[in-house]
Amino acid sequence: MASTFMADLPASGFSFENCKRNAFLFEKGAKPPTTVKTGTTIVGVVFKDGVVLGADTRATGGNMVSDKNCQKIHKMAPNMLCCGAGTAADCDKTTTMMASQLELHRLNTGRQVRVCTATRLLKQMLFRYQGYIGAYLVLGGVDSQGPHISTIQAHGSTVNTPYSAMGSGMLGAMSVLEMRWRPDMEEEEAKKLVRDAIAAGIFNDLGSGSNVDLAVIKANDQVEYLRGYELANKKGERKQRYDYPKGSSVVLSEVKRPVIVESTQVRQVAMDTS
Amino acid sequence: MSILSYNGGAVIAMKGGNCLAVATDLRYGVELRTVTTDFPKMFEIHPHLWVGLPGLASDTQTVLEKIRFRVKMYELQENRPIQPETFAAMLSNMLYERRFGPFFIEPIVAGLNPHTQSIYLCSMDLIGNVTTPEDFVVGGTAEEQLLGMCETVWSPDMDPDQLFESVSQALVNAVDRDASAGWGAEITIIEPHQITTRRIKTRMD
Amino acid sequence: MASERYSFSLTTFSPSGKLVQIEYALAAVASGAASVGIKAVNGVVLATEKKHKSILYEDHSTYKIEKITDHIGMVYSGMGPDYRLLVRRARKMAQDYLLMYGETIPTSQLVQRVANVMQGIIYVTQEYTQSGGVRPFGVSLLIAGWDASVNNGSPILFQCDPSGAYFAWKATAMGKNYVNGKTFLEKRYDDKLELEDAVHTAILTLKEGFEGQMTEDNVEIGICDENGFRRFTPEEVKDYLTNIA
Repeated sequence: MASTFMADLPASGFSFENCKRNAFLFEKGAKPPTTVKTGTTIVGVVFKDGVVLGADTRATGGNMVSDKNCQKIHKMAPNMLCCGAGTAADCDKTTTMMASQLELHRLNTGRQVRVCTATRLLKQMLFRYQGYIGAYLVLGGVDSQGPHISTIQAHGSTVNTPYSAMGSGMLGAMSVLEMRWRPDMEEEEAKKLVRDAIAAGIFNDLGSGSNVDLAVIKANDQVEYLRGYELANKKGERKQRYDYPKGSSVVLSEVKRPVIVESTQVRQVAMDTS
Repeated sequence: MSILSYNGGAVIAMKGGNCLAVATDLRYGVELRTVTTDFPKMFEIHPHLWVGLPGLASDTQTVLEKIRFRVKMYELQENRPIQPETFAAMLSNMLYERRFGPFFIEPIVAGLNPHTQSIYLCSMDLIGNVTTPEDFVVGGTAEEQLLGMCETVWSPDMDPDQLFESVSQALVNAVDRDASAGWGAEITIIEPHQITTRRIKTRMD
Repeated sequence: MASERYSFSLTTFSPSGKLVQIEYALAAVASGAASVGIKAVNGVVLATEKKHKSILYEDHSTYKIEKITDHIGMVYSGMGPDYRLLVRRARKMAQDYLLMYGETIPTSQLVQRVANVMQGIIYVTQEYTQSGGVRPFGVSLLIAGWDASVNNGSPILFQCDPSGAYFAWKATAMGKNYVNGKTFLEKRYDDKLELEDAVHTAILTLKEGFEGQMTEDNVEIGICDENGFRRFTPEEVKDYLTNIA
């Protein structure tokens, strides 16, 4: 046990030490706060030579847009990317943790990681947490077996389909995909389809908004990440500046102090010639 | 009322041209009752690295202690000052460790690298989701008002004096519309070789 | 013999102040296959001898030079199974660091952590404990890294011993004939060495104590520079060997 006088770095993994206190606070009438959700429209489709993934870039906390340009397509492995919807922190941490696991697997086996491996690892982890980790994912990649799209629900169920949509904007996106997806599409056609599906989410779902991010994955680790593929909602140019004149704020006290910036030096270790 | 609004508070960090501003209100209250007016929620880790911890005051203090401990351990082990990006990642992980029993704070991190002059800003939710905008980050009970003010007054490459006016006016006018925040404000302008801390006059009601 | 009385315990000093088991571990390293590491201006090279005891072995079925992260690589002299365990632990520790701090692990930090493992300090239930009763690792490691954050990127080379001691080197040799190897390197090394030349020097150092013909099947080479760490393919090794001969 780490004592008060010999503090130690805590062990890794989830800590539940605040749970009892928090439950007590809620019992006394305090309301639990909201976490940032991605709201989100995310999409993945298979085309002739690979997969195209797409996402909007809005993050919301309640009704407030907390990030106008967030990144929802996460890197998993050199041949794999993953779109996340649901609780933003869960999507982010789950995908980075999995990316780390996959990297270890890749180094230890010396092979490209297969998409089904990532799917299996993700569903096993999410199932263990019984849906309390709110990550809804669309995983896409190309491996030795060809292109794959895999959809993973927070409870741990998965489906493998040639096209898929998730998040609050999935209804709009799916209607576009159902109408226009067909086997063996060309790359440009697939990109256009994904762009239109995401746009359907951006313009018809309030939880989704801002820009369209795209990513194209082809065989042999060819990944093209198109961040800001389309700025669906350009901000109008501001005509005027709203500068306050100097002296607007009444200063009560002022402390100035210089900062001496230390430069870092690399230690040279002498060669042991004994 | 959300537990995040129990004590009240407002913090901002804003990017200028080769300078950075962080600001906090000074109220500490218990729901609608004001207890003290000398309670900043913005803390100095290094002269060039600041963290704002608005939210439940007890967690502000607890998390600050935990942060200080981890930063010291990092710097002793690695023999170098912690960078803002690294610090943010560490804090984010600390919050996510308590995913199922969180601390009720929504931190913001602001740092300036004196060698490269690059500026790092980010805000987090209470379980450590990081957002890194280009211009400014805000937090606390006056968050929505602050967002509106900052969207209006921010412009790229402000000099330190202009940045000070923008930040202080954004803060003052935002907390005037928030009963749980205000009662004095402290604004710090961070430049590569100088730190200026000013307290400004605000309404005290 | 007095030393024999202390020779079985890992945790008991002999009257002359030595931990004899650690010395034996070093002996295991010194009788292992030779490895060389050289730091150049723009990178680091690792090279090692990989001779099989029988011609019936399948060539290139196992590797001695392993990648730990994109910018760190490792090689060993001594016992293979111990090495593979350390490789896995090192990869895990590097990933843990990346997850915690969102930045890749500096080579010196990785070396420190690997050295802790080798010394038997393990992180158990929030306490650092010295584990007793297990034998020391029968390997010495050479760890080559490229640290992007130092001086806009700089190469670094470490050696890590069974005792947990570690040093930074400009160039060094371990394993069989390491004394001759080091003497050779002391003569050949200079501060302005480029990576290409360092590869040649590394091969020549290995050649010093090499029995028989050096081929792409019994030599392994890895380099680490600003593009990260990579192991040469047998074809690349062959090219270097023919250039030298």
